[in-house]
Amino acid sequence: MRKYSSALILLFCSFLSHAQNRFPKPDFESGYQYPTFRYPVPDETVWMVADLALLVLLMGIVAWSVIRKRRRAPVVLVSVFSVGYFGFFRTGCVCSIGAIQNVALALVDTSYTMPLVVVLFFILPILFTLMFGRVFCAGVCPLGALQELVNVKHYRLSKPLTLVLGLIPWIYLIFAIGFAVTRTGFIICRFDPFIGIFRLGGDLGMIVFGGLLLITSVFTGRPFCRFLCPYGAILSLFSRVSVWKMRLTPSCINCELCHNACPVDAIRPPYGNKVKESRVQGVKRILTYLIFLPAMAVGGAFLLSMTGDSVSRAHKDMQLYDMAVQNEALPQNVLPLELEVFYGQGGTFEDLSLRSETLRADFGRYAAIAGSLVGLVVGLTLISLSLKRTRATYEIDDAACVNCGKCFNYCPQNRINVKPENKKQ
Amino acid sequence: MKQEQEKNNLISRKKFLRMCGTVAAGTAAVAVSGVAFRRLALRDASCFWQIDPHKCTFCGRCETHCVLPISAVKCIHANRVCGYCDLCGGYYRNNVKELNTAAENLACPTGAIRREYVEDPYFEYTIDESLCNGCGKCAKGCNSFGNGSLYLQVKQELCKGCNACQIADVCPSGAIGRVAYATAYRLKDEE
Amino acid sequence: MKKTILRNLTIVSAIFIVTFSIMLITNYFQVRSFNPLQTGVIETLRQINEEHANNTELQEQIRQLDLLARRAYFVSMDHLMTGVYILVGMLLVFIVSLRLYFAGEQQIPGKQVPPADDWAVKTYARGYVHWVAGGLVTATLVFVFFSSPYLKTKPPQQAETLAETEALPSEEAGRESSDYGELPSADAPSVPSPADEQEAAGAEETLPAVEVSKVTHNGFRGNNSNAISSARNVPVQWDLNTKENIAWTTDIPRQGYNSPVINGSRVFITGADEQTRELYCYDLYTGKQLWTLTAEGISGSPSQMPKTSTDTGLAASTVTTNGKQVCAIFASGDLICADMDGKRLWAKNLGVPDNHYGYASSLLVFGNLLIVQYDNHNSPRLMALDMATGTERWNKARTDKITWSSPIIAYVNNQPQLVLMGNPGITAYNPNNGEQYWRVEGLSGEVASSPCSAGGLVFGASEYAALIAVDATTGRTLWQANDFLPEVSSPVATAEHVYLATSYGVLACYDAKTGELKSSHELNTEFYSSPVITEGKLYVFSNSGRMYIYSANSDFRLLHSFETGQATFATPAFTDGKIVVRTQTSLYCVTHSSVNS
Repeated sequence: MRKYSSALILLFCSFLSHAQNRFPKPDFESGYQYPTFRYPVPDETVWMVADLALLVLLMGIVAWSVIRKRRRAPVVLVSVFSVGYFGFFRTGCVCSIGAIQNVALALVDTSYTMPLVVVLFFILPILFTLMFGRVFCAGVCPLGALQELVNVKHYRLSKPLTLVLGLIPWIYLIFAIGFAVTRTGFIICRFDPFIGIFRLGGDLGMIVFGGLLLITSVFTGRPFCRFLCPYGAILSLFSRVSVWKMRLTPSCINCELCHNACPVDAIRPPYGNKVKESRVQGVKRILTYLIFLPAMAVGGAFLLSMTGDSVSRAHKDMQLYDMAVQNEALPQNVLPLELEVFYGQGGTFEDLSLRSETLRADFGRYAAIAGSLVGLVVGLTLISLSLKRTRATYEIDDAACVNCGKCFNYCPQNRINVKPENKKQ
Repeated sequence: MKQEQEKNNLISRKKFLRMCGTVAAGTAAVAVSGVAFRRLALRDASCFWQIDPHKCTFCGRCETHCVLPISAVKCIHANRVCGYCDLCGGYYRNNVKELNTAAENLACPTGAIRREYVEDPYFEYTIDESLCNGCGKCAKGCNSFGNGSLYLQVKQELCKGCNACQIADVCPSGAIGRVAYATAYRLKDEE
Repeated sequence: MKKTILRNLTIVSAIFIVTFSIMLITNYFQVRSFNPLQTGVIETLRQINEEHANNTELQEQIRQLDLLARRAYFVSMDHLMTGVYILVGMLLVFIVSLRLYFAGEQQIPGKQVPPADDWAVKTYARGYVHWVAGGLVTATLVFVFFSSPYLKTKPPQQAETLAETEALPSEEAGRESSDYGELPSADAPSVPSPADEQEAAGAEETLPAVEVSKVTHNGFRGNNSNAISSARNVPVQWDLNTKENIAWTTDIPRQGYNSPVINGSRVFITGADEQTRELYCYDLYTGKQLWTLTAEGISGSPSQMPKTSTDTGLAASTVTTNGKQVCAIFASGDLICADMDGKRLWAKNLGVPDNHYGYASSLLVFGNLLIVQYDNHNSPRLMALDMATGTERWNKARTDKITWSSPIIAYVNNQPQLVLMGNPGITAYNPNNGEQYWRVEGLSGEVASSPCSAGGLVFGASEYAALIAVDATTGRTLWQANDFLPEVSSPVATAEHVYLATSYGVLACYDAKTGELKSSHELNTEFYSSPVITEGKLYVFSNSGRMYIYSANSDFRLLHSFETGQATFATPAFTDGKIVVRTQTSLYCVTHSSVNS
């Protein structure tokens, strides 16, 4: 009797699956015992603790070696270890870059929950950046570390070009967050160029893209970090105002060797203000940009909100809705699989139609926000490019510096400064 | 003299601004983490990808869309649900004429199902996971004609735990979701 | 010395890596395009084997091919993994030797490079940013332009893309079912419906006898009330007197001018007289009456039926169904809803219509919403009710005068619009919440025919007023024409043409874009029944019961014309291979007699 009732409950629970217990359980006479299978489960808690401990430890090592010791060697070791452990061994997920999307979704959608490790992977590098600058980028991030390790020569791109390409991470970040909060998909994860390399397999297109990026990074420093990484964009905000910073050797002799060595063009040469245009003109320009800033934001919002409808087609439910609409308008004998399953699960066209309306509204709203943000980013970049600053010595651009410590090896003064200390030890 | 003081002022103003920035950034970071921590799911942290066996439609996309060369989705057999049929809908193709192990009669394209005689009229079926490629042909047959004891599931030791599962993206029935630590496997015979 | 070794090592490993990755990629593509386990060869052979049992040679062939395929699959997977490991190893060698080779050389520039002028850089960068911003704006504009609805309204293009996108998933689904498919039940492999379950359960012994067509005719003039049917293989010749191509004929107990509706194997109509109002369900295959549901015991229902004219009657409104529920309305304002087995789910009276001919608007289904156009003298309004429960979802007061027209759903850029004709306006609403999209005025008199739509345009006409074409994306009137106008019969539109049938026996064809009268046929008869287009053919009944079949293209050529034998006012219902027709007294089904016998 119990057997039947449990079968009934099973049947009740699983009205969706085709059939349950069409055949009764056999009564074995030969004393047959059901085999027991154990499905091994990796102990995630141990790995989580290990990952987080290593994350903190490695960032600590980088901070210590770069800010305290002014040496690069430990950073290289950290990079090698990080590529091996976080990259090839742990195969990349979850990473701080991807965690942006989870956190953004959680901030917007109260029904979304995430494990502790995701939050910590997102927030710990930010906190470290706030303290010591971008020590995460230096060698703890396997993506940055991999590029750094293969980099042999640094051919510098034209400076104006790098400045413009620096806009991409911001735009990418804005779109990634937009796609995440609408639950359309995690585009950062999908278009991660190095994950395929770490996993030794995956989408061919992305592997080829990753390979090309790696080849590029042999000849120029960190193309992904500089021109694509959305997390780097976030960190650059925090590193601007970090408590302890990477500093040039105090007894700088303006030899420009560090400037040439920097893989991310973070060292600015001294610049005397040889005024080529009147001060009034410069001020006027800044004022114009400031006045146009809101206009740019509004214009961006307007432009992108017009695309909201089309962009919403990227969402799974909208695709389903389109299929349903086509089917309603011209009923087909063979439904697309998705639609068949949707109707099979008791969904109705009306639900879908309502869902599509809310989605479309959501997309319109988020597209407007994204547009205004893109407008702001462009406007603020223009304003920052209109500011004139004079520098007597070489200076580090805190936002761009990734604390890799490459410059130490090139600085003639650093060797002199550090060596006595080393000898003491 | 005056000029120097002005310069000093400038520097200190810069410093002051920077401090303000630090404080603002710190506050922002703490605020974001505060909100993020409230969205934590500590106890039932959803972490492993699993297929809801009751929603699965055996469409075969698990085989082709996993990021791994051979999918992390495999067929699992719930012996306690199985009817031990001689004419097994998962083991044999439809319209099978002879119940033998000849290739023209078998549903599994890789021969990953082992069939063993138990007693008349019962046969035991076992999955050889090293051969299974997660195509779901057997699961489809078993669910259409049998008890549904063969079903697809994500094997934890193979799954990379991608932040965004690529199979979940294309799953037509939305059967793939995250489950908690405690229930690392959604097994049919444990329900 | 050491340097030379390192250099050579670097070069050799680099060459190795390049050639090896090319090989791997080609190998990958080969495996992709030719997955040994997914080739159709074995599958086809297996199917042949099923048809011709005991062909040992064939069986042996299958076994060997299968073995080959499995071996090829696992070996190729194995090779791929080994290849990747070797590649990674060589990459490591390359990087290490490259680094070591360059280790000694620090990048000390040979000559002093003058430091770049910071301001010049910034000026350039500003220029670039301007260009990039301009580029982004242009790109967005281009994107908006190409994805804009105005572009999509070009009907042929839309039809093409529709066909393309339709073809893809169905092909895929077809492939999937053929991968596995052998029983007809595999036609719907993944829909867990009860019928499927039954089929599957019984599949080992018996094959399901009849495959029910999925082409439905869910309301007045078909799905969305648009008079376009996707039915195939529809008969073009029949005769009631000789029983040619007639599957069955059955008498209808009570009179009504409403049209039949087909869903699955069920046909629905209503009938009414002064005493009783009934909803009938017939079997599509046998003509057997499956059940009858009487509209009685409804609170608010009048004891005395409202006065109606003889050519309207009490049951002029066509029923509608979504495959789960079926709803019917009568001139008394009684609305009843039943499930597919005739069990009454709910019923209500919407208020007795003040209507001098009798209430005649047909019901319309949109998903789970039942749309009721209730344009009577007293409180004209538009309602949307939940099909399953009868609860009102939204309600919209109307300003139009009394009409007998029926609502339709028009798809405009994949957006549903609920379009109503009234006196004097054609109005489009959002079917989800009743919000008004647009309104065009210009109709007058007694508006009895219904609108139609195709390719983003909506057409509406009333006699002595005009045929109005509206661009449904903007709500602007495109053109008006008044050469020939329908009175009772409703027009039907394709992407290129609008066809209509007048009460004085003219069939006219207008150009959908310009309103130019393309051709007309004077037939010396009367048309109350509405034309329906299926398979590129326009079917229309004259009141005397003569069927005219015209080609629905620019030719507008008469293909067939024949007397069916009985006067017909209702619009026929179409499904695959079948037409269901209601005459004054009977209901009959037309089919290909070869199929029937």
